[in-house]
Amino acid sequence: MSESEMTLGAGQATAFEPSPYGVQSKKLTMWLFIASDAVTFGAILFGYAYLRAGTPDWPTPFQFSPSIVNGLIMTLVLLTSSLTMLAAVAAAKQGRKSSALLWISATIVLGIIFATLHLREWFHMFAEGWSLSKNPLGGTVMFGATFFSITGLHLMHVISGVIALIVIAIGYNTEWLDAGHVETTGLYWHFVDLVWMFVFPLLYLMNVAR
Amino acid sequence: MTDTKNGPGMKEYIAIWVGLLCIVGIETFLTTMHISTHRLLAALLVLAFVEAGIALLFFMHLKYERPRLFWTLVPLVIFVLFMMNHIWPDAYRMLNMRVPIQ
Repeated sequence: MSESEMTLGAGQATAFEPSPYGVQSKKLTMWLFIASDAVTFGAILFGYAYLRAGTPDWPTPFQFSPSIVNGLIMTLVLLTSSLTMLAAVAAAKQGRKSSALLWISATIVLGIIFATLHLREWFHMFAEGWSLSKNPLGGTVMFGATFFSITGLHLMHVISGVIALIVIAIGYNTEWLDAGHVETTGLYWHFVDLVWMFVFPLLYLMNVAR
Repeated sequence: MTDTKNGPGMKEYIAIWVGLLCIVGIETFLTTMHISTHRLLAALLVLAFVEAGIALLFFMHLKYERPRLFWTLVPLVIFVLFMMNHIWPDAYRMLNMRVPIQ
């Protein structure tokens, strides 16, 4: 049965064409959002690369420990959260409600751990004198501006994802939302993970003191 | 309701997850090597795109959707990102035109 038939009933559904992409409208909407968000992150990363390429005294402040070690732990946490999200989607599709809720909860916890590690790193950098417009090492101030902007935008996506997952968990538990909603939110969560795959090497690994 | 094919099982997902972690390990290892900044950037970008491709196709299930979804979204995003490359001449002009600090 098509989505339009489920919504309107078989009689009225004949007036509508089937989805050309074979996915629910909410999933297609999420894909379109992801495409536009990918371009947003692409633009902000290009902006960072532009400034870096045009600045001879670009600082490389990160030491392997603690900055890169912390970044690696954050990467491990985020990648693992994608795995728990996949388990949640698989369980929701199979109608295993308690299992799905357990895996969604695990994803939420991992998201909170990621955000906490990120904020801890930020406050450590603030204590060293870094800010959007300050560079304690001397030279260009654009490092702080780009670093906090890009990681801040990503962190905002993680926090939004955690909030969305909490809403989805509550809705799915009360049967107000279905497995399709869990899958669509999972798509968003994997995208947040995908963006980090560019943020970590470009902002952390490329700025290690060598 | 949808035409989505069945994707990999959890065992395959765990294998992919391990593979992604290995790529992150390679990226970090390359950072500790004494290679030029340009080569390091090129290597990290290639590995990041490989990671992103794996995540997109398997974690985000794009491989198992109708091909037209892939062909609608991916070339569009790549085209827009490609067009952003017009900034480079200006970035290098900015570098060369900088007034030296006395």
